[in-house]
Amino acid sequence: MMSFHEMKDKDYIPQKTQLMMMIGGGFGLAKTLLLNLSDLKKLRIIPPNSERYIRPTRPYDLPSFESSMKLCVSEEKYLRPTLHCDHHEPEVIALAHQLGAYKKTDKEFAEDAFHFVKENMTLEIIAFNPVSETIKRGTGTCIHLISVFIALCRAAGIKARYKMFAMNMIKAWYDAVVDVDPLVKKWYDSMGYFMIEGEGEIYIDGEWIVAHVGPKAERQAAAGIPITKFGEDSLGRWFFAIPGSIMVMESIPFGLAGAIRGLSKIAPGSMERVNISIQKQIASGKKIIADAGGVEAYDKNAREKMEIKQPTLQLQTKDEIVFS
Amino acid sequence: MIDFNTYMDNLHKNISSYAPQKTEQPELYESLFKPKDIYRIPLDEAEKMQLKTIKAAFIHHYNNNPFYHNFCKEHSITPEDIKTNDDLTKIPLIPDKFFKDYPEGKEYATWIANIYTGELPKIVIKQKKPTYDDVIDAFHEAGIYVTYSSGTGGRHTFIPRDKTTFLNAEYTLAKSLVPMIYPLWKHDSYGYLLMPNPKLNFIFAGKALEIYFDAVKNVEVAIDRKINTELIEMTMHGKKGLKSKIVRHIASKGAKNMIDDIIDWLEVRDKANDTITLVGAPYILYAVMEKLKQQGRSFNFGERGGVATGGGWKIHEHKRMPVSDFRKEVKDVLGIPEKFCLDIYGMVEGNGWLTQCPEGHYLHAPYSFYKPLVLDEEFKPAEYGEWGQYAFLDGAARSYPGFIVTGDKVRLLKRCPVCDRPGPVLEPEVKRVKGADVRGCAEEVRRMLTSDLGD
Repeated sequence: MMSFHEMKDKDYIPQKTQLMMMIGGGFGLAKTLLLNLSDLKKLRIIPPNSERYIRPTRPYDLPSFESSMKLCVSEEKYLRPTLHCDHHEPEVIALAHQLGAYKKTDKEFAEDAFHFVKENMTLEIIAFNPVSETIKRGTGTCIHLISVFIALCRAAGIKARYKMFAMNMIKAWYDAVVDVDPLVKKWYDSMGYFMIEGEGEIYIDGEWIVAHVGPKAERQAAAGIPITKFGEDSLGRWFFAIPGSIMVMESIPFGLAGAIRGLSKIAPGSMERVNISIQKQIASGKKIIADAGGVEAYDKNAREKMEIKQPTLQLQTKDEIVFS
Repeated sequence: MIDFNTYMDNLHKNISSYAPQKTEQPELYESLFKPKDIYRIPLDEAEKMQLKTIKAAFIHHYNNNPFYHNFCKEHSITPEDIKTNDDLTKIPLIPDKFFKDYPEGKEYATWIANIYTGELPKIVIKQKKPTYDDVIDAFHEAGIYVTYSSGTGGRHTFIPRDKTTFLNAEYTLAKSLVPMIYPLWKHDSYGYLLMPNPKLNFIFAGKALEIYFDAVKNVEVAIDRKINTELIEMTMHGKKGLKSKIVRHIASKGAKNMIDDIIDWLEVRDKANDTITLVGAPYILYAVMEKLKQQGRSFNFGERGGVATGGGWKIHEHKRMPVSDFRKEVKDVLGIPEKFCLDIYGMVEGNGWLTQCPEGHYLHAPYSFYKPLVLDEEFKPAEYGEWGQYAFLDGAARSYPGFIVTGDKVRLLKRCPVCDRPGPVLEPEVKRVKGADVRGCAEEVRRMLTSDLGD
């Protein structure tokens, strides 16, 4: 059994900021549910003859695993297996090798892993599971998808970690993910922000490089924002984190999985409604990209739109400001 | 009925201390102070005023604000390039996000000082690790109002206003609203400010309404407590901790009493046959009307009553109330006619207020000193009638460059399709552009009070 020290070292114990966010989210959710029991009764299941969520077909084949495949077995921080992110699983190793592990430079591999996850895997609100299951299914929350990216990189011997933060959603995502279900909406609004959003980070040539794998191009197109590239941080560009909420960690901490599992038991209908809406958002994004003439054309156009020139401000000390 | 000139002269008597001075701001004096009705200036005259006022503001910022000067150099624009009204669109516009990108602690004070146009007074910051509120208080002691808004996206927008700019913001508000509600306004009347007390606060949702206390003799305030950035974090952003819980508990009690207090006030004013105005966030008035409906009560103020709202139309978590529905409800529950129920569109980054006309409820721009623009997808000015991103050139901003691109999506029309005022108007429906966060000062107040009311 893992010692407390080991759990702490691997970041299984939530950081204070995250703990506060999880407790806040839990209380927020409990309060929302308790104060809306009649809504909950109505909304927890999808009525017969209503639209149902159909999971999209996985758009890739699973490569076969061979025991001769090279694997990173280091126990060094950021290279070892962590909660829901075990890169020793055969599906992870096989996929990492298919993507060129140990044949490409670290940067080339990480970039290909980034594109694989971002372009092939789809957002679905679902309980946490081992990373191999996410690969087999092809869907998951943004944290599932970040875990796939991290596991692939670790399997290829590249240090990888999570970067998590709380943020207010942009309106288009709010409309698609929150506004579609009254319970989720009440929960979100009682919190003022969604509990967690994240990115992956990998360590190459002495620096951490960010990878925003969560939203696929179609979702970003539906939101009217550019498509995040490898090494490009969404924060400070088209998202703003709640001040003080940014955390980096080796592992998904304890507790996060329980929260999503709890929600899936209590309000499965709400989760399904959100998933239906995400699919619609993706369909709308697909059309936007097609109308723009493809992903690159869309992205170029969106960047031109987003990137209205900002003034540069280099802070200069002012004699009139006196710090006593 | 009082004639319009006397009506506006009476207003001036009460708010003359806010008016732009000829010696200090000669162009704004001509374009804002001198016209009796800023919405009825003939277009050719207004265009001359607009060019002079906005060009003067541009020259001022070009010469006195290093970051904006460099920004203009990057765009290869100098004041010599601005010769006609059409040239005004060459003025480099600052995205509103720029004013959200601030550091913390001592650097925050330096950031404010760096975006400020002109000479700063001496500002003493006593704290080792100053909070935003410490810095705001220190600037205020030196005579600068750091107004802020929109914590709804997780980041405030901070705008430093010197006394001149702040007075301009207040004066333009009165000068925009009062002609539109002619002949309702009179000094000897009763007002209820449905916003945080501007005398205690710097949140722009309400701050610019300090003038209300001079324009109207008897004014009550709905949220009569200090609301600083820390409190907003506690009430709106779900900040945790015992202190936050205590604050929320007290706020919750206060908010429930607030609705009862407003109803009591309405009852007294109705019995006394007084003239009343209610100015501020629609959410509060909506809560009052809902309670009155629950109690099966209503009033009939008729032409003795007026309502001016601002800051967005999200009335309830479940619905965004159409402005026309709100007006109907005001008519049904308070008996105030729709012509005296007007919405105002403004924001912390600007000092011009677009005000609905009583006839068609289109949002009229104060076009003699303020140029509204709609930008297309390439950030170029769009034609009238096109939907696009709202931007403006504000000739009343002295302490920061008020040439702003907002995150709002609007449709600008050359003139009002309903009334005979000659200037440009926005359609009443203002949306957020894709990718922009949810915002609006009434949305801030609504979320704060939603939390307070335990809704």
